Amino acid sequence: MSTFRRVANLFSPSKVAREIDAELGSHVEMRIEDNIANGMSPEEARCDALLRFGNRTAIEERVAGEDAALVIENIWRDIRLACRQLLKSPSFTITAIVTLALGIGANTATFSVVDAVMLRPQPYDHPEQLIDVVPMNSRFTQDYSRNLSYPDFFDMRLGNHTLTHLVSYHDTSYTMTGVSRPVHVDAQIVSWDLLPTLGARPEIGRGFSPEEEKPGTRVALISHALWMTQFAGDTAIVGRTVSLSNQLFTIIGVMPASFRFPMTSPQNGMWTTLAVDEDSTDPSTTKRGMHFLNSIGRLKTGVTVAQANRDLSTIAAILAKQYPATNTHNDSAKARTELTALVGDTQTALMIVLGAVALVLLIACGNVANLFLARMRERQREIAMRTALGAGRGRIIRQLLVESFVLSTAGGFAGCCLAFASTPVMLSLVGDTIPRAADAGVDLRVLAFVIAISSVAGLIFGIVPAITASKTELVSSLKEGGRTEISSRDWLRTTLIIGQVALGLVLAASAGLLITSFMHLRHTDEGFNPDHLLTYFFETPDWRYKDIRPEFYGQYFEKVRALPGVQSAAGVAIMPMTDDGADITFEDPEHPVPEEQRAGANVTVITQDYFRTMQIPVLRGRDFSDRDNMESQQVMIVDQAFGQKFFPGENVVGKRIRPGADDGPGEGPPWREIVGVVGSVRLSATQREMRPEMYLPSTQLSHWCCLHTVMRTSVNPRSMEPTARQLVASMDKDIPVTNVRTMQELMFSELSQPRFAMVLLGVFAALAITLTVVGLYGVMTYSISRRKREIGIRMALGAQRSHVLNEVLREASALLAIGVTVGALASLLATSALKSMLYGTGSRNPAILALVSVIAAITGLIAAFIPARRAASSDPMQALRTD
Amino acid sequence: MAKNDLQGALDLLVLKTLSQTGSLHGYGIVLHIQRVSDALLSVEEGSLYPALHRMEQDGWISSEWALTETNRKAKYYRLTAAGRKQLERAEKSFEHLVKGVRAVLRFA
Repeated sequence: MSTFRRVANLFSPSKVAREIDAELGSHVEMRIEDNIANGMSPEEARCDALLRFGNRTAIEERVAGEDAALVIENIWRDIRLACRQLLKSPSFTITAIVTLALGIGANTATFSVVDAVMLRPQPYDHPEQLIDVVPMNSRFTQDYSRNLSYPDFFDMRLGNHTLTHLVSYHDTSYTMTGVSRPVHVDAQIVSWDLLPTLGARPEIGRGFSPEEEKPGTRVALISHALWMTQFAGDTAIVGRTVSLSNQLFTIIGVMPASFRFPMTSPQNGMWTTLAVDEDSTDPSTTKRGMHFLNSIGRLKTGVTVAQANRDLSTIAAILAKQYPATNTHNDSAKARTELTALVGDTQTALMIVLGAVALVLLIACGNVANLFLARMRERQREIAMRTALGAGRGRIIRQLLVESFVLSTAGGFAGCCLAFASTPVMLSLVGDTIPRAADAGVDLRVLAFVIAISSVAGLIFGIVPAITASKTELVSSLKEGGRTEISSRDWLRTTLIIGQVALGLVLAASAGLLITSFMHLRHTDEGFNPDHLLTYFFETPDWRYKDIRPEFYGQYFEKVRALPGVQSAAGVAIMPMTDDGADITFEDPEHPVPEEQRAGANVTVITQDYFRTMQIPVLRGRDFSDRDNMESQQVMIVDQAFGQKFFPGENVVGKRIRPGADDGPGEGPPWREIVGVVGSVRLSATQREMRPEMYLPSTQLSHWCCLHTVMRTSVNPRSMEPTARQLVASMDKDIPVTNVRTMQELMFSELSQPRFAMVLLGVFAALAITLTVVGLYGVMTYSISRRKREIGIRMALGAQRSHVLNEVLREASALLAIGVTVGALASLLATSALKSMLYGTGSRNPAILALVSVIAAITGLIAAFIPARRAASSDPMQALRTD
Repeated sequence: MAKNDLQGALDLLVLKTLSQTGSLHGYGIVLHIQRVSDALLSVEEGSLYPALHRMEQDGWISSEWALTETNRKAKYYRLTAAGRKQLERAEKSFEHLVKGVRAVLRFA
């Protein structure tokens, strides 16, 4: 047969089947003719011909099996048969599909997020060569939060042997004026070679050149989004100058819409060179003590991350020796792939969620497998009949596997729809705390994942029932009307349900821990009252406000406090609950140590009334007052944690310390007297302990920028937003107000990662428990229906209802007891993976484990009680009469 | 050896029959083998058709529908060039087998 015909047969397969039928038919007919010619009667002749020929259908199938096209047709026929079989028992089919859809849907939605965050390569050229570089203290090798200073960065850029490029970047923001209205633009200040490092190109215009790092240069690349919104996509934009915070910048290019750097700030609208940092009387580019830069590098071809790590650490160690005053704490460096750095802590949370959801799928598969096993009992007769008619064992297994694949495909499809619907909900839980999560969506990779897990699921729940069913004993099943049982099947069902109970318990225990931890976070005292607080921020740019800030803010806060609905208001440089922080060292004459070993604490600048507005209690001494000014005694306030850590058991009020590093010539920062102690405040919702904090009065400092406004309102804080915006605009129309949020909103977003993990694990655990209970109910119902006759006989002979009931419940209790024990042991091991995500509870919490075990046992017993009671209250006569 | 070589034997019988008769349908092949072997060999009809279809897929034989002497439609098989080569190979390997088996039997 020509290849063409073979291929053509794929599209008209039934023609081939008809041909085979005709061919075999003509054989039999010819035999009959010859038999008659040899003197047999027509009946004899036909009978002999058919006997000689054997099982016609089986032969037809074997012939068809030789034809490639017909294999496909056969599978298609199996699929249609499977669909008919499944339609015949709709309740089984619907239960199985819903169960699978829940399992597969939850997995797909989770996978789409994991894929977007962790698996998808970054949209840069050869992203595996990109590394994130941070300085490191060799004593704290897990602390990735340090930053480089410009001089350190320049030394590393010049001195390394392993990188083709090393790029510094840090964020800033500008007010762009001269367009329709002043807009706030998030920007990055980067080295000139950012684009060559990433392998990116502007869509119009050009990238930076090395000369553009020279002081005085003002060039900018803008994002596609900014180009479209502010310049209406005008191609004449290249070469145009714009005013950014009152300085003129030349726009040299527009980046394509797909370009994003850094990955964590999708809103970034502009990139400019580090020339802007060099261009002041006191440039940050020369200060080795100012650690605020991030850096990204590209490895030379063939160089490993470990080699780069050694190379950069060596440079850091040399710098630490050369400049002990500024670099002692940064005596090493760490290079990680950019993706590792980006994913960071989220990896643990995502892997845990993914693991949890995989367990849900396993439980779902267990349920469907159990349903299948139960169904096999009803189909035993059918299968025996088909075996008797000549179907081989392989044929039966194939048919049953096709059935399970049809089911899992339907479940996969429904699950996919479920994932479509639930991904947005999941993303709203994630918030913007997980980088790149917002990119999650159902795409080809996710679909491939669905197909893969559906097939695996189909195989998992299909293979065991198929194999056990194919072992059906022919004669006895046919004779006894399908009531025989293969004992191994019971053993399987029991193991399955025990496994399900155990897995469900592990999930429930994990969810219980996360819920406890979250409750702990929600109900921990923040140290201030977060209700009725509105916060926002605006910049007071140096070019206009450098020397008049105290006066400006003084007037401003007076006006704010006078607004109706405002009880009090104050300014603070570093807002709690924003993950922001500044750590500076201080000199303490009572514990003199060399400069590089001085202790550090968080510092922030506040205006008067801050403690009153936040409702932070002043425990000892006094609050700042308007008498604390430049001329008076220099003062500061510390929190309780500061006193406990650095002056345990002493009264710190009246002590004098000197916060801030000596950086360069001059007399350095002034000595300050501690005039008060206030309660400690959580700077981040997820911090494990209160961090020592120093408060400096804004009235005694000259160079600082800028203050967040916090306002305590008597009305709904959100309703004050327009008034606040008007007030700022009335003082300076070129200042845009940003980050308007209530304290409750801030705390909500701070908790989004723990909430995400808790809600998902909670939902998965609930799903797992429900599936398990349904599974147990199914197993008990099945086991009772098998024993209906036995129960009927015993009751007819006088057995008590309660006795029958007890016996069934005993069986269920045994299953549950084993499942719960196994699950509890497994939980003890599994929950240690949660450790880094738990607050206020250990990873082994016996109370929670006991609680979920009791819940699992009780719900399980209820699931068993219902069918047991039904069996015990059934009429014995009826039970005896059923076949 | 058993299964494969027996299957090989069926292939050989079918190919040889077709090379001797030119073109024949399945029933004719059964009858021919029975007659030529003096009823010593009888082909199991259930195994013949799968073998025919497999050999057709392998390109050793080709088929066409035609009328028998009694005006009945039947599928006639005919040897192809590839089938002729396969027949030579099969004959050789069968002779080897027979020689080998004989040698073993004589030894005893």
